[in-house]
Amino acid sequence: MDYAGSGSLLIILLISLFIGMALSLQLSAELSRVGLKMYTGKVVGISIIREIGPVLTAVVFAGRVGSGMASELGSMVLGHQVDTLRVFGVDPIKKLIVPRVLSAIVMLPALTIIGDAASLMGAYYIAVFVSHQSGAFYWSSIREVLVYENVLAGSIKPFIFGYLIACISCHMGLSTKGGAIGLRRTTTKAVVISFIIIIIADFLLTRILLYLLGFTV
Amino acid sequence: MITFDRVSFSYGSRPVLNGMSFSIEETERVAILGGSGEGKTTILKLILGLLKPDSGRIWIDGIDITEKKEEELREIRTKFSIVFQEGALFDSLTVKENVAFPLREYTQMSEEEIDQKVRELLRRVGLEEAIDLMPEELSGGMHRRVAIMRSLAAFEPRMFLYDEPTSGLDPVNANIICELILNLSSKGTGFIVVTHKVFDAFKLADRFMFLKSGTILLDGDRERILQSDLSEIKIFLKELHFPQFQGGTRNV
Repeated sequence: MDYAGSGSLLIILLISLFIGMALSLQLSAELSRVGLKMYTGKVVGISIIREIGPVLTAVVFAGRVGSGMASELGSMVLGHQVDTLRVFGVDPIKKLIVPRVLSAIVMLPALTIIGDAASLMGAYYIAVFVSHQSGAFYWSSIREVLVYENVLAGSIKPFIFGYLIACISCHMGLSTKGGAIGLRRTTTKAVVISFIIIIIADFLLTRILLYLLGFTV
Repeated sequence: MITFDRVSFSYGSRPVLNGMSFSIEETERVAILGGSGEGKTTILKLILGLLKPDSGRIWIDGIDITEKKEEELREIRTKFSIVFQEGALFDSLTVKENVAFPLREYTQMSEEEIDQKVRELLRRVGLEEAIDLMPEELSGGMHRRVAIMRSLAAFEPRMFLYDEPTSGLDPVNANIICELILNLSSKGTGFIVVTHKVFDAFKLADRFMFLKSGTILLDGDRERILQSDLSEIKIFLKELHFPQFQGGTRNV
């Protein structure tokens, strides 16, 4: 929990803050050309809460925590620690996998909420102090997008992403063979497969959630 | 106690054991010798049911364990005490927590009793002072001693299994480990030691099985090993730079 959660906090905060700032900058520039600069907050809010926040946090989480899980379990396999657990009658799935999956399911949504907040703060800074928009209007736009549908769409994804990242990383870790080279291969595969699965799952979840929440495309 | 009946095993497309058959009694002191990748560790894992053979049967105390499920193997595994290569201590636990691990899993002892038992076990190998250290703070020899004590913390094994117990150790520490192994077997408990160090194997065992290409090239006492004309065994002995063996003497 500690490694997955608080250990990832700073990196999530930093990345989310700068992504929010970059997004706000891009949108302010583009929307001001067509006279719609006041919609910056709304577009930023929807993008971050529904899409960018969950995916970005999941990708960072996979890169940091998923790779850590895969390499830790891989080195336990190579060092016969997993065999030792089995000899002592302990199920490695219960002892090693279940806690990691649970921590990912709990911590990724929490990190996503914090990351979203950091992104919105970054976007606010650009909108108000660089693009000279009204701060009150920015926050009222954000409040408008914090409706049930958007919050639900953005909060379901991290639970599923966390589950997928932990399962993929743990599976890869426990399949490690072939010494240091095998460990490197395992860790790389865990991260790459997690990235791909996150992106595919994001598309599928978006499609399903939009349908279930009654959005027309 | 242990019977392998035409056991074959492969890692993917790489065959390791090829129709291997042998029997080992629980009071025997057996050394399994051979080069790297010859399947020495695989034999130990097959005995414990950690791996399943591709074909053939494995019998422990007359029970066929070949098709046993993980939960059914728990009882079989309590008959043995295994020390894996380099000790396999849990990195995230202290020495005390490592030794206490099987006590917590297998017994109903209170924390106070566990503490006493762990201290007693560590005292036997002169490591009581290291009780609060992490595995990364231990030397190779200390690692092995803690691992040996952990392996017999919760129950009295009927046979010890050692996977390369002296590999990577200097001669002094290797000797300490060999003496510990002999000491633990002084009441007649047998062991299987897997090693590629002939010198240590000769100190410990009475029976020697030499593996080559998935089969047992030679199975016998030290006289048979020393008098063997098989080039593989002679090369193996020469590669260890062990001059005592050059003339076929047994001054070990």
